[in-house]
Amino acid sequence: MECIFGFTGKDFVMTATDSTVAQSILIVKSTEDKSRALSKRILLLFAGESGDTVQFAEFIQRNVRLYEIRNGVELSTKSAATFTRRELADNLRSRKQYSVNLILAGYDLTTELPSLYQLDYLGSSVSAPFAAHGYAAHFLFSIFDRYHRPDLSLEEAKALMKMCVGELQRRFLVNLSHFTVKVVDKDGIREIAI
Amino acid sequence: MNSILNEFKSTSALCEEELHDSLYDWDTANGFALPTFEFPAVHNLNRFMKDITSASAPCQIEIQHGTTTLAFKFKSGVIVAADSRASQGNYVSTSSVKKIIEINPFLLGTMAGGAADCTFWQRELGRQCRLYELRNKERISVAAASKLLANMIYRYKGMGLSMGTMVTGWDKTGPKIFYVDSDGTRVDGELFSVGSGSPFAYGIIDNGFDFDLDVPSAIDLGKRAIYHATHRDGASGGTVNLYHVKPDGWARIGRWDVEDLHWEFQDQPKPSPINSSVIG
Amino acid sequence: MSGKNCVAIASDKRFGVKYLTISMEFPKMFQATDKTFIGISGLATDVQTLMERFRFKINMYRMNEERDFEPITLANMVSSTLYERRFSPYFVEPIVAGLDKNNNPYINGMDLIGCSTTACDFAATGTPEDQLYGTCEALWEPNLEPEELFETISQTIMSATNRDCVSGWGAVVHVITPERVITRTLKTRMD
Repeated sequence: MECIFGFTGKDFVMTATDSTVAQSILIVKSTEDKSRALSKRILLLFAGESGDTVQFAEFIQRNVRLYEIRNGVELSTKSAATFTRRELADNLRSRKQYSVNLILAGYDLTTELPSLYQLDYLGSSVSAPFAAHGYAAHFLFSIFDRYHRPDLSLEEAKALMKMCVGELQRRFLVNLSHFTVKVVDKDGIREIAI
Repeated sequence: MNSILNEFKSTSALCEEELHDSLYDWDTANGFALPTFEFPAVHNLNRFMKDITSASAPCQIEIQHGTTTLAFKFKSGVIVAADSRASQGNYVSTSSVKKIIEINPFLLGTMAGGAADCTFWQRELGRQCRLYELRNKERISVAAASKLLANMIYRYKGMGLSMGTMVTGWDKTGPKIFYVDSDGTRVDGELFSVGSGSPFAYGIIDNGFDFDLDVPSAIDLGKRAIYHATHRDGASGGTVNLYHVKPDGWARIGRWDVEDLHWEFQDQPKPSPINSSVIG
Repeated sequence: MSGKNCVAIASDKRFGVKYLTISMEFPKMFQATDKTFIGISGLATDVQTLMERFRFKINMYRMNEERDFEPITLANMVSSTLYERRFSPYFVEPIVAGLDKNNNPYINGMDLIGCSTTACDFAATGTPEDQLYGTCEALWEPNLEPEELFETISQTIMSATNRDCVSGWGAVVHVITPERVITRTLKTRMD
């Protein structure tokens, strides 16, 4: 029932997560941030089994940081995605699996390009101009197909984000009152209001 | 020559006689009654039908399922559109199904769920509507027609009927859309989409709709919504069939192969998300 | 699919969860050596993991032995890699297609635990396997030239995926000839 999604723009990636923490029929918190920064310009969004999500995200976060400290270079978004995917895939055949869906959003200074990866709990990874997990995908993919362009300006991206949030709030049975929207670009990661 | 003629004469006379006899035998109560079915001799009929049609059944009866259909009201009537794929599991059994059923010149029904269920009951609805017209000397309202359908299928609730349909038309009260399904739901509304591809279609309609749309734009919107649904939903595809319901009955607007639509739409510049109309 | 001193291998490009199409640019084949390709269908995560593992093994072999895999050796490597996981298998069905050192076609299809079958004509795996075999039987004939082989395999994969709800959305064809590899992307139905 959680929604995480994102799309690329001209020189940034815009992402959104719902901010709801639910326990059976109860909303426990409605201002939770369901993302972790892997590095200055890579953001990891997560949704799935409670407990698994944060554990896995922080495990990846620490390992990416460890790589940086050991080697003195930052991982590219692609490398981070490949590493994360392999961890998930290997973990799939262990005794206790993580059940986490992820979206990796990053901006690479070397190529000066934004990139987005969608990883599911089985460890399938695809690079895409837009990504959404779970039920959100059903509501949003047609909107992305219709309105998303790789050269979206920030203003257009905000309008598109509004459209997506509006559609979810209009058509999705679950009441998701608040979404956390973030932008990843050359200056780093920041939360924005739409 | 005359003998030949006489032969024909006598035959036709016989025909009339037979016709008279058969009319005499015509049982109004049975002839106008709702259809009846033979039931298998099983202990629990509801369980039996559920078991043989459920996904976990050892030899499942597979019936056509995935679909995208939609109908919306606007300034000049109703747009009704649907895809044309019939699938059994992952297999595409045909790509040329007419999922919009012409009940009569003023009523349209759409088809989602079991193909046989939808065609049979909407044909039956057509018959009921004709009888209503003959009895009352006026056309049946969309509300009444959809209620007839809902009542008919409600009697079989829980026995494995599977249909999600929209009954649309134009009557004295104006354009009308009713959503009727095999659970017994019957609701009227401005915009519905039914089937596995419906969330995709809703995404397009919700963000591109305006009540004051002119006819070509409304047609384009309906066409696009179905196309986008076929693109993302594996169980929808084939062609887009589209109808326009007007005060003097429905008109068939056209049929487009979604393959052609895909390449046509892909070459068009995409609209900016800013300033696109969003329904409230 | 084999031809006269040439082989062709094709795959669709869809990645999806059940009936939802997520990506239309999902590679399922990769070039193992100059004249050999591996195509893998099945669970996407295992497809990706195996592609990584095979690439690693192929590179290691090349560095250790200072020569490339022969298609038959490659198929054995793929088969034994799969059998390693006999009791928790990768859910995939790979196909190895290539030309051997005498430029004879070699085609091998495998099940998920590495039971390999060499075919002199064609091999097919994936969700529209039944449809693929049907069209293969109808369209294929021995000793096709590269261009004819391209046409045959393209028609085969397009007809088969058009009758399957969960495959299609674009296709890639590689035709391997002694001189070069011809790679073409097919424009297919997108529903």
